[in-house]
Amino acid sequence: MENKRTSSDTLWRVVGLAALLSTALLVAGFGYAVKDLVWPSPEHTPIQSPQAELPAKKPLSESSEIRITAIGDSLTKGFGDDEGQGYVKQVVAMLRDKWGIPVRLNNNLAVNGLRADELAESLRTNKGYQYTIQQANLVLFTIGGNDLFQSVTGEKASEATGQFDLEKLKAGMPEGLQRFEAVIEQIHALNPNAHVVYVGLFNPFYEMEDLRVGSPYIQQWNQQVYDILHRYDNMTIVPTYDLFENASDLYLSSDHFHPNHLGYEQIATRVVQSLR
Amino acid sequence: MDRLLPLVQNETLKIWRKKRFYVVVLVLIILIPIFTYAQMRISQTNAQNFKDWRNQVMNQINDYQSTLASDSVPEEWKRYRRIAVQQLQYYLDRDVNPSTPDAITFTRGFMSGSVTLFYPLLVLAIASDLVSGERTTGTIKMLLTRPVRRWKILLSKILAMMLYVSLIVVTSFVLCYLISGVFFGYEGWDAPVFTGFDVSGAQVDSTNVHAIPQWQYMIMQGGLIWFSSMTVALLALMVSVLLRGTAASIVTMMAAVITGTILGNMASSWESAKYFFSVNLDLTMYMNGSPPPIAGMSLPFSLTVLAIWAAISIVVSFLVFTKQDILN
Repeated sequence: MENKRTSSDTLWRVVGLAALLSTALLVAGFGYAVKDLVWPSPEHTPIQSPQAELPAKKPLSESSEIRITAIGDSLTKGFGDDEGQGYVKQVVAMLRDKWGIPVRLNNNLAVNGLRADELAESLRTNKGYQYTIQQANLVLFTIGGNDLFQSVTGEKASEATGQFDLEKLKAGMPEGLQRFEAVIEQIHALNPNAHVVYVGLFNPFYEMEDLRVGSPYIQQWNQQVYDILHRYDNMTIVPTYDLFENASDLYLSSDHFHPNHLGYEQIATRVVQSLR
Repeated sequence: MDRLLPLVQNETLKIWRKKRFYVVVLVLIILIPIFTYAQMRISQTNAQNFKDWRNQVMNQINDYQSTLASDSVPEEWKRYRRIAVQQLQYYLDRDVNPSTPDAITFTRGFMSGSVTLFYPLLVLAIASDLVSGERTTGTIKMLLTRPVRRWKILLSKILAMMLYVSLIVVTSFVLCYLISGVFFGYEGWDAPVFTGFDVSGAQVDSTNVHAIPQWQYMIMQGGLIWFSSMTVALLALMVSVLLRGTAASIVTMMAAVITGTILGNMASSWESAKYFFSVNLDLTMYMNGSPPPIAGMSLPFSLTVLAIWAAISIVVSFLVFTKQDILN
C-alpha cells in the first residue's frame, strides 16, 4: 500500500509537471498569437530578386543540360491536346532523344487567353518569371494570337465565331506588334544567352472560304515578327501556317482553333529542327 | 482551495489509469508515419520535376492563374485561388520558400490540418466519459458521497481535462517532429513564415504582413489549437454530464464536429452558420492567411463564438451536475 502510494505520487509529479509546463507554454503562445494577429506590428521584408546564373552562350547540343522555359498563350499551354502535352512537352521528349543530354522543363508559364501586353507586364514585374527566364538556355513561346483576334472580335480568341472584320484586323496589327516587341526586349534584357524560339501564327479558318482572306494578314504578322527577331542572333521564328492550310481537319482539335496532339507534334518537330 | 489540488491529482491519475492517453499516443504513432510517407512521395515527385522551389512555386501560381482564366470555375473558388496566388507571389518576391522541406514545416502543416477533426477526436477520447464514465461504472456514487462539494469535483475534472488537452497538443508536436524528422531532417526552426495577410477583401491586403521564425509560429499556432481543443473538451464535458452513456456522448460530439466541417465547406451562402462552434475551430487559418469559410469571420469573432460556447458549457455543466439526482 505504501509502495503504491509513492509510485502514484511520482506519476502525478511527472504527469502533472509536464502538463502544467505544456499548459503554460500553450497559454503564452495563445496570448502572443492573439496579440500578434489583432494588434500586429508590421515589419516589411524587403523585396529581393532571386538571381539565377545565366547559361553560357553556346549551341544547345554542347550544353550539359537543356533547360526550357515556356511562356505565352494557350498554344504553349497545349490547349486542345487530349494528351495534355502540347508542343512544349513533345519538344522536351524529342530533344532528349536527339542529343541524349538531360532536358528539363523549368516551367511552362503559359496562360490561356494571354495577350502580349500582359506577358510583357509579367516579364517586367514578376520575379518568378524573370528567374525562370534567366535559368533557361531555351525559351519557347507563342503570343499575339489573342491580341490580333481580340482586336477583331473584342473577345477571347476561342470565342471568335468568324465575324471577321478585316479592317479591324489590319488596324490592330501595329499595336499588337508594339506589344510583341516589348516582350522581345524584356526577354533579351533578362537573358541574352538563351536560344529563343517563337512559334509563328497560323490561320485556323483557312478552309472556310470567307475567312481565308485573313491569311495574308497573319502572314504579315509573321513577317513583321521576323523583322524584329532577326536583329537578335539567338532568336528565331518557326513557321506553322502551312500545316493548317490543307490538313486542318487532321491537325486541329475539335474547337477548330487550337491544334490537336498531332498538330502540336508537327509544331514540336519544327521547333526541334530549328535548334542546334 | 486546499482540497482542490488532491482532487485534481486524483482525477489526473484516474484518466491516466484508464489508459486513454496511451490510445492517443498510439493513434498518433500510427497515423503520423502514414502522412509523413505521403508527404515524402509528393516531395520526391516535386524534386524530380522542378529544379528548385522557385520553379515549383511559379508552377503552382500558373496553375491557379489558369483556373482564374477559366469561365467554368465558380467565383467562390476563384477568390481562394486569387488569394493563394497573391500570397505565393509575396513569398516569391522576397525570395522566401513558403514550404521548406523539413520536419518543422511538416509538423506545422500537420497540426494546422488536424485542428478541425483530428484534435477534436483525440480530445474526445479523454473528455467524453469524464462524467458519464463514472455513471456507467457506478463509481459516481462513491465520488459524490464523499464529504466534498460537488462543484469542486467537477472543477477538478475540468482542470485535469485541461492538463490533458495541453499534453495532447504538445505530445502531438513532439511525436510529429521526431517521426517526420527521420525523413525530412530535424531542421526549420528558424525558417521565416509570413503572417498577417488580411484576406477579408477581394484582394489580399499585405500592409500588416511580417515574418516570424517558424519556432515562434509553432508556439502561437499551438496556443490557438489549444484554445479550440479546450472548447471542444468543455462541450464534451457538458454532453457527458447531460447524457448517460459514453458512446452516446462521443457520437453526439463527433456529429457536431463533423457538421462544422461540412458546413464550413458549403455554407458560404448561409451566413448564420458562422455562429456554430465547429465552423470556428480552425483558428490557425487566421495565422496562415487562408480565407475563412464564411464572410465576416475574423479571429476576434471566432474567439468570441468559441468562448461563448465554452462558457455556456461550463455553466450548464455546473448547474446540472450540482443539482442532478443520481438514480440507479
